[in-house]
Amino acid sequence: MNEPEVAVGIDHETWNEESPYRIPSRKLGMWLFILSDAVTFAAILYAYAFVRLATANWTRPFEVSSIVNGVVMTTVLLVSSVTTLAALDAAKHNQRSRSVTWLGVTMLLGMLFAALHIREWIKMIDKGWRLFQNPTGGPVLFGSTFFCITGLHLMHIIAGVVAIAVVAIKYSRGSLDTGHVESVGLYWHFVDLVWMFVFPLVYLMNAK
Amino acid sequence: MDNTGTSRVLGMKANLLLCFVLLCIVGIEVFLTYRHLSTETLLAFLLVLAFFEAAIAVTYFMHLKYESPNLAWSLIPALIFVLFMMGNMLPDAMRVLNLRVIHW
Repeated sequence: MNEPEVAVGIDHETWNEESPYRIPSRKLGMWLFILSDAVTFAAILYAYAFVRLATANWTRPFEVSSIVNGVVMTTVLLVSSVTTLAALDAAKHNQRSRSVTWLGVTMLLGMLFAALHIREWIKMIDKGWRLFQNPTGGPVLFGSTFFCITGLHLMHIIAGVVAIAVVAIKYSRGSLDTGHVESVGLYWHFVDLVWMFVFPLVYLMNAK
Repeated sequence: MDNTGTSRVLGMKANLLLCFVLLCIVGIEVFLTYRHLSTETLLAFLLVLAFFEAAIAVTYFMHLKYESPNLAWSLIPALIFVLFMMGNMLPDAMRVLNLRVIHW
């Protein structure tokens, strides 16, 4: 018995049924990934907020210079979202080299964000902050929450830069299409969105 | 070829304008931080502003506004439900701080 006879009784149209969301599967997959990742971040931010409110003598270590650094990091990330949109816009107009250029700018901004982030970490570590150590003698919870939350976000940034690099290289060679540029862009916007919660909750709530 | 499933979206000028609006909201957040409000009040203000920023980003940057309404109706209520349940369950976890070891 050959293959086509196995499928007898199944209407060919069944396999070509329109998606209820009218989007490609990869985009739906990215949305579902974003939803699950949003829940992960929500869980750690919820836990942090409860611990923060329940600890009376919580240490507020951030001076104005750290807040300014945070505002610069936010600006860099927001501008990188716009450059991602520019890359998608160029891809939709079939301008591959322009799209790849904008993806490259997005990567550079992502790396700048990571560098500023790591600089802030080094500053904190130099002052004596560790995962379970508070140099001021107060509760140790600030160090653990700060390094865990910002560390998880930094991992997402680094993963995003790598993903954009892979998509940009393959897109320039023609082995990926506009849909892939949009999917990686969706991920990058999500990382930006998470920072919109991390910056006020972790930095601004702990300003001196 | 456009195979993104999203046909009409905002132009680049509008995206830059939205970026500026988001930066202004960040400015408001920093301003409120140095008004020396109580921790609870500041947290409430910052969360409201952060959700507003997130709504703009999801709607316009992530193009959810231009997708099929089925997608938004499948994703957003589910996320809100999970967040709501976390908000209800996590305070119960705070009991751990008050637990004592009982020696029989």
